[in-house]
Amino acid sequence: MAQMSARPAAISDDAYNARLEKIASSPEMREDNITLPYAGAMKLSGAMGVVGILGLLLVVIGAFVYNPKHALAAFEVGLFTVTAASLGSLFLVMIWNMMIAGWHVTIRRHFENAASLLPFCCLGLGAVVLIELWGPGREGSGVLLQWLYAEKQGTFLVEHKAGYLNPLFLGVRWVIYTVVWSFLALRLRALSREQDRTGDRWLSRKARFMSGWGLLITALTTAFAAFDFLMSMDYRFFSTMWGVYFFAISALAAVSLASLVFAGIRSMGRLTGVVTDEHFHDLGKLVFAFTCFWAYIAFGQYFLIWYSNIPEETYYFIHRTTGDWKPLFVALTFAHFVVPFVLLVSRIPKRSTLALGVAGVYMLVLTVADLVWIIRPMVYLGAEGAEAGPGMMGWWLDAAGILGVLGIYGALLIRQTASAPLIPTKDPMLHEAMAHKNYV
Amino acid sequence: MSSIHPDQITAERLAGLRDAPGDYVGPAGGADGSLIEDPAVRAPLVLNDRSFAEVTETVCSYAECGPPKAWLGLITITSLIAAVGTGMILYLIITGVGVWGLNNQVDWAWDITNFVFWIGIGHAGTLISAILCLLKQKWRTAVNRSAEAMTIFAVVCAGIFPGIHVGRVWFAWMLFPIPNSNGIWPNFRSPLLWDVFAVSTYATVSLLFWYMGMIPDLATLRDRAHLRMLQGRERRLTLPMPVGKDIVLPFVPSAERVAAYIYGFLALGWRFSSRHWHRYEAAYLILAGISTPLVLSVHSIVSFDFATSILPGWHTTIFPPYFVAGAVFGGFAMVLFLLIPCRQVMPGFKDLLTLRHLENMAKILLLTGMMVGFAYSMEFFIAWYGGNEFEWSVFINNRANPAEAPYWWAYWTMIGCNVLSPQIFWFRKLRQNPLAIWIVAGFVTVGMWFERFVIIVTSLHRAFLPGEWHMFFPTWVDILTFVGSCGIFATLFLLFLKYLPVFAMAELKAVMPQADPHGGGHGHDPVASVAGGASAGGASASKGVGP
Amino acid sequence: MISPANILADIADYMPFMKRPAPRFISESGNRIYGIVAEYADPHAVTVAAEQFRDAGYTRWDVYSPFPIHGMEGHMGIKRTILPVAAFGAAVTGVLAALALQYFTNDIDYQFVVQGKPTNAWEPFIPVTFELGVLLTAFTCIGGMLMLNGLPRWNHPLFSSERFLKVSDDRLIIAVEAADANFDPDATRRLLEESGGTNIELIEDDD
Repeated sequence: MAQMSARPAAISDDAYNARLEKIASSPEMREDNITLPYAGAMKLSGAMGVVGILGLLLVVIGAFVYNPKHALAAFEVGLFTVTAASLGSLFLVMIWNMMIAGWHVTIRRHFENAASLLPFCCLGLGAVVLIELWGPGREGSGVLLQWLYAEKQGTFLVEHKAGYLNPLFLGVRWVIYTVVWSFLALRLRALSREQDRTGDRWLSRKARFMSGWGLLITALTTAFAAFDFLMSMDYRFFSTMWGVYFFAISALAAVSLASLVFAGIRSMGRLTGVVTDEHFHDLGKLVFAFTCFWAYIAFGQYFLIWYSNIPEETYYFIHRTTGDWKPLFVALTFAHFVVPFVLLVSRIPKRSTLALGVAGVYMLVLTVADLVWIIRPMVYLGAEGAEAGPGMMGWWLDAAGILGVLGIYGALLIRQTASAPLIPTKDPMLHEAMAHKNYV
Repeated sequence: MSSIHPDQITAERLAGLRDAPGDYVGPAGGADGSLIEDPAVRAPLVLNDRSFAEVTETVCSYAECGPPKAWLGLITITSLIAAVGTGMILYLIITGVGVWGLNNQVDWAWDITNFVFWIGIGHAGTLISAILCLLKQKWRTAVNRSAEAMTIFAVVCAGIFPGIHVGRVWFAWMLFPIPNSNGIWPNFRSPLLWDVFAVSTYATVSLLFWYMGMIPDLATLRDRAHLRMLQGRERRLTLPMPVGKDIVLPFVPSAERVAAYIYGFLALGWRFSSRHWHRYEAAYLILAGISTPLVLSVHSIVSFDFATSILPGWHTTIFPPYFVAGAVFGGFAMVLFLLIPCRQVMPGFKDLLTLRHLENMAKILLLTGMMVGFAYSMEFFIAWYGGNEFEWSVFINNRANPAEAPYWWAYWTMIGCNVLSPQIFWFRKLRQNPLAIWIVAGFVTVGMWFERFVIIVTSLHRAFLPGEWHMFFPTWVDILTFVGSCGIFATLFLLFLKYLPVFAMAELKAVMPQADPHGGGHGHDPVASVAGGASAGGASASKGVGP
Repeated sequence: MISPANILADIADYMPFMKRPAPRFISESGNRIYGIVAEYADPHAVTVAAEQFRDAGYTRWDVYSPFPIHGMEGHMGIKRTILPVAAFGAAVTGVLAALALQYFTNDIDYQFVVQGKPTNAWEPFIPVTFELGVLLTAFTCIGGMLMLNGLPRWNHPLFSSERFLKVSDDRLIIAVEAADANFDPDATRRLLEESGGTNIELIEDDD
């Protein structure tokens, strides 16, 4: 307390504590409204965990009996979906902290939980690095990262890029991503949970300050991680937009996941009067906005390469927009943008728990489809860059990889969610969030 | 101040002779509470507990008093500069684009640099209004009106350059979807045609947005003029003289009558009905919703002019969001560059545009500065990573390396102004200091001009064969046209400051604490209203700080 | 709110040559009565009063405030405006019109190959399509807002009240029109008084 009075307080501690008590005593803040039923949550978590482990087992089996490249690609599609969701959540938490936003407070805890799974995502990325460098698939190394292939060594581009694309530096970068993301995500969640216990409002300012520099380095690390794991699979391809593209995927995945989670929580009768239709309206706006943002970035990148028609870039899109992958490209254009745009532009679905929950699942499925479109064509790409078909026979492997990772992620997320109150109970802006209304 | 007589207390308060009631005397956040750092309390959007009437009086009195001498002096200078610019445009049209310093290699230079510079500045207004409206950033009400005005004027300046750089302006109708004498339509696959649609749509929508926001405030000016007429307080129109007494104009209606007619005509008969407000707010929200992607699209399409080419240095996929970030950056810098002096000079301005608002905008400068820095570094990294030696050569040999690049100083001016100078805003003291913000805003404005210059000229001036290398040197016509466009911009902005409501009064009043029908101690809210908490807490927490 | 009689009355406001229906109420000076206005102290008071008028079944009445009061739609019982629907329709129209224009001019009417691009590629048509969609939406939004509000209408009986002219500054006023079916000079005045209204004033429509 002595420490607190040294802060530039504009409201006395007594007055502030009285306000906190007033909020805590309101009927919306009773225990069973703002926490998940622990036993039920653990059961659900366990079920998802079993699905996840079975899926991953199937992937490992598939790697040995079917095709290791396909197996790794399936795993990576799942892994990047959840990494995107967690990274996007981290971004949003930091942006909200920076903007001193009020309305988001009651939904922020979920984003902190999702971001705090980044260490697990980084473990997955570490596994990818290990498999790529010493994996069982090919003699030497390289499964999906072509620049590691033995036969590519000595070619002009691999030589040229060796200063960046080399095993040691890749490992170092993985360590940097892991440290940066884990530190930020865990620290921000810890600050928020500490505030639950102590009611110290100055922790919000600490979180805000951290978010400032955190955003900067997260933006840089996200861009380079996207280069390392997605763009450089095809070592010849390059696009300055790629980092922003992955950010667009991340933000959309994060808000879609949040829609799904809050629809679930609300349908269990929790968070009544705390996360209201008004919050759903705004969450829906975010889903809508990031759908449009994704369309803008994805179109911008595709369009500039299409228009300039320079062979060193266009080949990347040629086998993704023609031939066997064309249906997916067309489907993405319509299902990932046109359909959600038309459906979510109205306020009615945005304010409905069921509709927004469905929209969240739908957008997550399309995020997976987007990543399939990025990653999967690399599997059956011939040595000369010619497309050898999408390999639909291995669809079970894709399903296993995606469900496996999503299952484990879901299990962990439910555990995180159940382990603390569903909202930051002593956030200084909580009263604004609870009284939040969308006028107009 | 106002030549009309506001009530005595307001007049004294506005003149600084008297304190507003309930002056904030908390221990923190500056004398007026504008810089409250307490996470539990929001800084007030309007300082000194101003009443609605005082806000109206402050804003309207700028438009209602006779033109001040200093303003007349300034606008004389700026309109002379604008006249020089207009002369240059005529000279160019009469003579041909040869009067500019363009050559075979550098066939776009200052013209398109100025175009992109102005259109970029023209983005902050709609951004503040639209995006900040969607993000529920209430502090936008302090700056949105002037920023939107600035948008319109910047788009006017921007529109000049592509219009005249085609040389034979009388063929401008070919830009519109009209078949020419051979029955050929315009080529809709050309980025330059997209520009026509994008910029004209943007100009139209921004104008509508600005005007629609102004309708209630124009109605306020109308009603005030009308009231003064009814009360017999009319002011004669005068012809201002540089020295001595102004000459009263005979046979013309009074200033009040003119104002009532003009503002009344523009206000369209707005009468502040709640049924109207309901539709008005719905329309405003939709406009904000469509203006946000519009802002993004316009500068993206401008960037397509470059990025759809195959020219090294122009063709890069990050251009659309990078141009948008740069436009927001440059636009905010210009808003700050214009409003900080206004804030110092115009009375009552500081209560409505507080230090916290300036700090927020400084933070946005820092953020967007970092975004363009991100884009610069991505471009540089990919230029190397992509393995295209021409691309790399543009970055090193045409831009960055002082030993090789003749334009190295332009590149490093850009980096210094745009990336390095906003970094001072990491320090709270500096981002709360209007002078520091103003200086950085000036640097950023310069830096953003150089950014466009670097993109356009350094990429063009050396083609693939050294035999095609040419430097670009601006002629006096180039320079005076640009200076003239600044004059046009400044003249329009000065006219706006004098004759239109500089703050969005209706919106400002709506975010003041006393406008909340549920707060104000009526017990609807589970928590006492935030503003009430601030002043009550301020009094009880003032340990060791005297009033 | 929207009934044939009301629409006709609104149109008659704009058409001086049209014969207006005979006034239901006439003031002492013999003029048609427009309605009664009353002033309220603060936004809270006016929302409480608005609820009383809503519940009393009035339809042609309004709250006049210098700024939009949040939540007033609910207090007054105003239905949501159809403006968003119109705006969406305009957006779709704009998009289709732009696509039609571009495909017709560049792919159907006079094909010419530039930069080796197909004449029917969708990619280069996106920017103009987007811009026209936005432009039409913006026009519809503002035009529709003004039209639904019955603006521009430069004069109005309410402007004859000096008190009403201060609404644009800081006054909050409720006006009940004589055209309302529930309107009764005495009963309405009493309700205005009971709901906390002060400075009650009869507004004449002296056309």
